[in-house]
Amino acid sequence: MIALSGISILSGGLLSPTPYLDPGSGSYLIQLLLAAVLGGAFLVKVYWQKIKGFFRNLGKRKSDDPMA
Amino acid sequence: MTIDYHPVAGSFRDPAGFLFIHDGAVYRQVNRWGQVDYDTLMESGLYAALVSAGLLLPHEEVALPAPRPESAYRVLRPVQIPFISYPYEWCFSQLRDAALLTLQIQKRAFDFGMSLKDSSAYNIQFYQGRPVLIDTLSFEPYHEGQPWVAYRQFCQHFLAPLALMAHRDSRLSQFLRVYMDGLPLDLAVRLLPWSARFQSGLLFHIYMHSRSQQRYAGATIAPERAVGRMNRIGLLGLLDSLETAVKRLRWREDVTEWGDYYDKTNYTAAAHEHKKALIAAWLEELAPRNVWDLGANTGVFSRLASARGISTVAFDVDPGAIEQAYRTARLDGDPNFLPLLLDLTNPSPALGWHSSERQSWLARGPVDMVLALALVHHLAIANNVPLPRLAEFFSHLGEWLVLEFVPKEDSQVQKLLATREDIFVDYSQSGLEAAFAGYFAIEKREPIAESCRTLYLMRALPYRV
Repeated sequence: MIALSGISILSGGLLSPTPYLDPGSGSYLIQLLLAAVLGGAFLVKVYWQKIKGFFRNLGKRKSDDPMA
Repeated sequence: MTIDYHPVAGSFRDPAGFLFIHDGAVYRQVNRWGQVDYDTLMESGLYAALVSAGLLLPHEEVALPAPRPESAYRVLRPVQIPFISYPYEWCFSQLRDAALLTLQIQKRAFDFGMSLKDSSAYNIQFYQGRPVLIDTLSFEPYHEGQPWVAYRQFCQHFLAPLALMAHRDSRLSQFLRVYMDGLPLDLAVRLLPWSARFQSGLLFHIYMHSRSQQRYAGATIAPERAVGRMNRIGLLGLLDSLETAVKRLRWREDVTEWGDYYDKTNYTAAAHEHKKALIAAWLEELAPRNVWDLGANTGVFSRLASARGISTVAFDVDPGAIEQAYRTARLDGDPNFLPLLLDLTNPSPALGWHSSERQSWLARGPVDMVLALALVHHLAIANNVPLPRLAEFFSHLGEWLVLEFVPKEDSQVQKLLATREDIFVDYSQSGLEAAFAGYFAIEKREPIAESCRTLYLMRALPYRV
């Protein structure tokens, strides 16, 4: 899977070669990959909401303005 | 100075502290090992914020001597939960609400520089009709750059079972009885329909997560090297994505066996009202502190008790009925009503380590009053339980029993007998009374108007409960 090979890049030097069953390792590593992607998406979402909010307020203020 | 106590069997994994019972109440010892985490929770303002939002169970610090003084830092007395329930007894919306609560708490914790160190569904209980986190020691200071250590547990305890319930069948919640640490993600992947991967949240947190677990199963990560790899925005993005994934999962609107039971019933409106009036009068007269309603369906009669301020748990085998009961009560804001999934012919056993981590259903009783309305024919005829065994069973559950007897001539019983030989020679009103006489005193016997049914009020003989 292409996405999973991204983990290897992000986790450079993080994995030790010791063979030891640790079911948490894969969860840690996928988290790093997902956080990189979802963090960006989250920022876009937050700023998009701010922009929408700004225009909504602008529209509201205009319609509230008796002089408009 | 030492005190009489016994530890709560399910509370031994966290070195930060443990629960114990003293004088009938639950207490928590905070160990010195958990001192920093506990103090940070209390002093950062997070505790106050969570408690005032109704997200965390409040506690008070008490001067009670610690049961294990050599390791003790504080003794806490949390607000007492009337009935402890487990995720395999919850309906879809109960598990979903518990999942959303966990994420909400984690987000609040970030604001105060803390993080949840575990996200076990067993740390959530229903209190006053709403889910609440009961584990005060689940928090640790958040170090910038640290991944969320409870991520895997959240996916296994909440997201995977919810996805299966939403995409396959709500009865699959019963997997949680077998997998105490949540549903293994590789199993969830095998059971989910192929189309589930088109939902991005499930693709990320179940499918890719599972692949990553398998691929790196043999690898170890030095914890100190994992720190600094993840920024705050990344973590907030992860939580936001989990929340969206959970919110997108919806209860399948299956037509259930009992969901529309009250519409299909052979009762007339007058019979229904008469039955309600009798039960209400007995509740008023006896004022029980707690009630279990067995075979409660959507909880119409249970709520006669909860409406009177009585702590009431309604059990039914049908996930659809419990789903409906929970949603209705949540909408009404009924604080005394808890609907739970339970098969009376195979009730929740004691589970987990030493078979004592999770209590059996019976061990969580007895209660003051048990309602068994239009239930006996299902157990006696559909499940072949002899009447004396039923009487013995009920006598262990509570002091007072309100029992509705549905005779053979009733159309509901006729339906049960339609496809089988009638081997139930003792199934009659006199047979019932004879069978129950060894365990109960019959206090009242009221025929229900416009029906052939009888409502009994019985009291367990003193040596029984």
